[in-house]
Amino acid sequence: MSVLLAPSRRELVRTAARRSLRRRRIVGTVVQGLCVVAVVAAVAPLVALVYYTVTRGASTLSWAFLSHAPTPPFIPGGGISTAITGTAEIVGLAIVLAIPISLLAALFLFERSGKLAAALRFSADVLTGVPSIIIGIFAYAVLVLPLHQFSTLAASFALAMLMLPIMIRADEEAMRTIALDLWEAGIALGARRGRVARSVVLRGALPDLVTGNLLAIARAAGETAPLLFTLATPLAAMTLLIYTDGTAAFPSAQRTAWATALVLLSFVLLLSVAARLVAWRISRRAH
Amino acid sequence: MSPDAVSGLVGPGRVIGVRSALRRRRSRLGDQAYSALRWAGAGLFGAVVLGLLVGVGSDSSAALQHSGIGFVWSGTWNPAAGQYGAGILVVDTLLTTAVAMVLMVPIGLGTAVFLSELAPRWLSGPLSTLIGLLAAVPSIVVGLWGLLVLTPIFANQVEPFLASVPVVGWLFRGEAYGPSILLASVVLAVMTLPTMVSLSRTAFGGVPLADREAALALGATRWQVVRRAVFPAARAGVSAAVTLAVGRALGESIAVAMVIGNRPAIPESLTTPGATLGSAIVNQFAEASPGIGTSSVIALGAVLLLLTVAVNAGGQALLRSGAGARAHTAGALR
Repeated sequence: MSVLLAPSRRELVRTAARRSLRRRRIVGTVVQGLCVVAVVAAVAPLVALVYYTVTRGASTLSWAFLSHAPTPPFIPGGGISTAITGTAEIVGLAIVLAIPISLLAALFLFERSGKLAAALRFSADVLTGVPSIIIGIFAYAVLVLPLHQFSTLAASFALAMLMLPIMIRADEEAMRTIALDLWEAGIALGARRGRVARSVVLRGALPDLVTGNLLAIARAAGETAPLLFTLATPLAAMTLLIYTDGTAAFPSAQRTAWATALVLLSFVLLLSVAARLVAWRISRRAH
Repeated sequence: MSPDAVSGLVGPGRVIGVRSALRRRRSRLGDQAYSALRWAGAGLFGAVVLGLLVGVGSDSSAALQHSGIGFVWSGTWNPAAGQYGAGILVVDTLLTTAVAMVLMVPIGLGTAVFLSELAPRWLSGPLSTLIGLLAAVPSIVVGLWGLLVLTPIFANQVEPFLASVPVVGWLFRGEAYGPSILLASVVLAVMTLPTMVSLSRTAFGGVPLADREAALALGATRWQVVRRAVFPAARAGVSAAVTLAVGRALGESIAVAMVIGNRPAIPESLTTPGATLGSAIVNQFAEASPGIGTSSVIALGAVLLLLTVAVNAGGQALLRSGAGARAHTAGALR
């Protein structure tokens, strides 16, 4: 191009290019600086949040705190044992309800394509987006109102409903990573669908299934809103205890709230780390 | 699949004979049982979703009969006078979500760009893992932090400072209480940030390296590569991330109830207390009188459900029309 230009024009183009490059470099540097600012703005509150929970919770935390039952306000020596066992019970029962249904529904989605599967997939996506408080209201309307009593069962039902769509989509994704040819090979060998599902699909996808389900459990375990409408007392679950004690105006209750938050946070992060470790082990084995 | 799984299916000497015929018959039975189970699983799930929609709808019908369709936009929420309206709550819900997104999206995008495009590997790996883990922090813990740590800071420092800034201060005028629409938005922003970062980073990671190299070869600076090559190709993924965050912010109830101050009135500025649909449900539910009161609270849930479903559907449609078509043409050009 420069061959066609007179020497003076060439000089002109060159300065213009140099100026443009300088301008672009300045803009680039500014934006990169802004990105670093964004990282700090993103990480700082998250780290502060964990820092406060750990420092304020740790001072109250003790073995007695974990193992003793709660005492009435202003009577020292109380713990949160009922909340811990309550959460374990509710989440455990929710897992028992959600995992079989989600696995079967995911197998259904995996093996079938068509309008019904598409509708099911769509409803899973819709249910994932439904706020948890609405699921709490629903559990209240179908299990608490008719039976005239708050119950662990209603709470588990609500949490299971929260887990279901997440588990179904994660299970299906996990199954899809098993190549379709393997499934076809199993069918071609004359194996029944049920046998292929058990020996090929489920066995092959197992680590991915574990990861997805653990993450879904971690999310449901930290939910508060659905329990608000289904449990009779805040002492029956960690998240509810954090809510009532955290909003109480006296310091001893707030200390309990921080310590319970620390226990809950550790539990949820542990599940999340476990899920990641399983995923990481698969990817390492695959290499 | 392990080898023994295969040999278990077609072992030698198993093909002919009464026993194998019997076994096959049994397995056919098993097959039917499996198929039935699978249908049952799918059916049960479908029934639960349908039940949810029908249940919430029918339980709020009493409230709609009492207040009429005006329930959705009428501004007064005064149970003592038998007046129920979701209007102000809808406004506050939309307002907190909008402010939260204004705060969160640029920070989230910037962080994702840094992690995916700018940071060295030794930094981006651990940082991404950290942010991914923090996505699991329960919203009640974020709410507790907002209530006990941020509220005094906002009341004494942040809100007076913002109100003193010229021009922008108008948005934050009035007395600084602490619990406010602004604080609720900040809490929502913190809550939705990790997911936004993780999903956007994944979207950026999916952009082919060749796109970046081509842009670099044309003389683009690093930022221009991001703007001209990475952003357009990752648009679908990023919009999906924002849609998800908006849905979560609209529907969050407990954490918002802890920091918004729960005052269902028209907000005068961002530093005044407010009440969202979710926070109102949390606060009104226990004190609601049986019958119309409870039904009205459930109807708030129905409004919230419609709002979130509309946002999700809108996001999906947006994805399919705009970004989808663009991604398609980009694919054809490539």
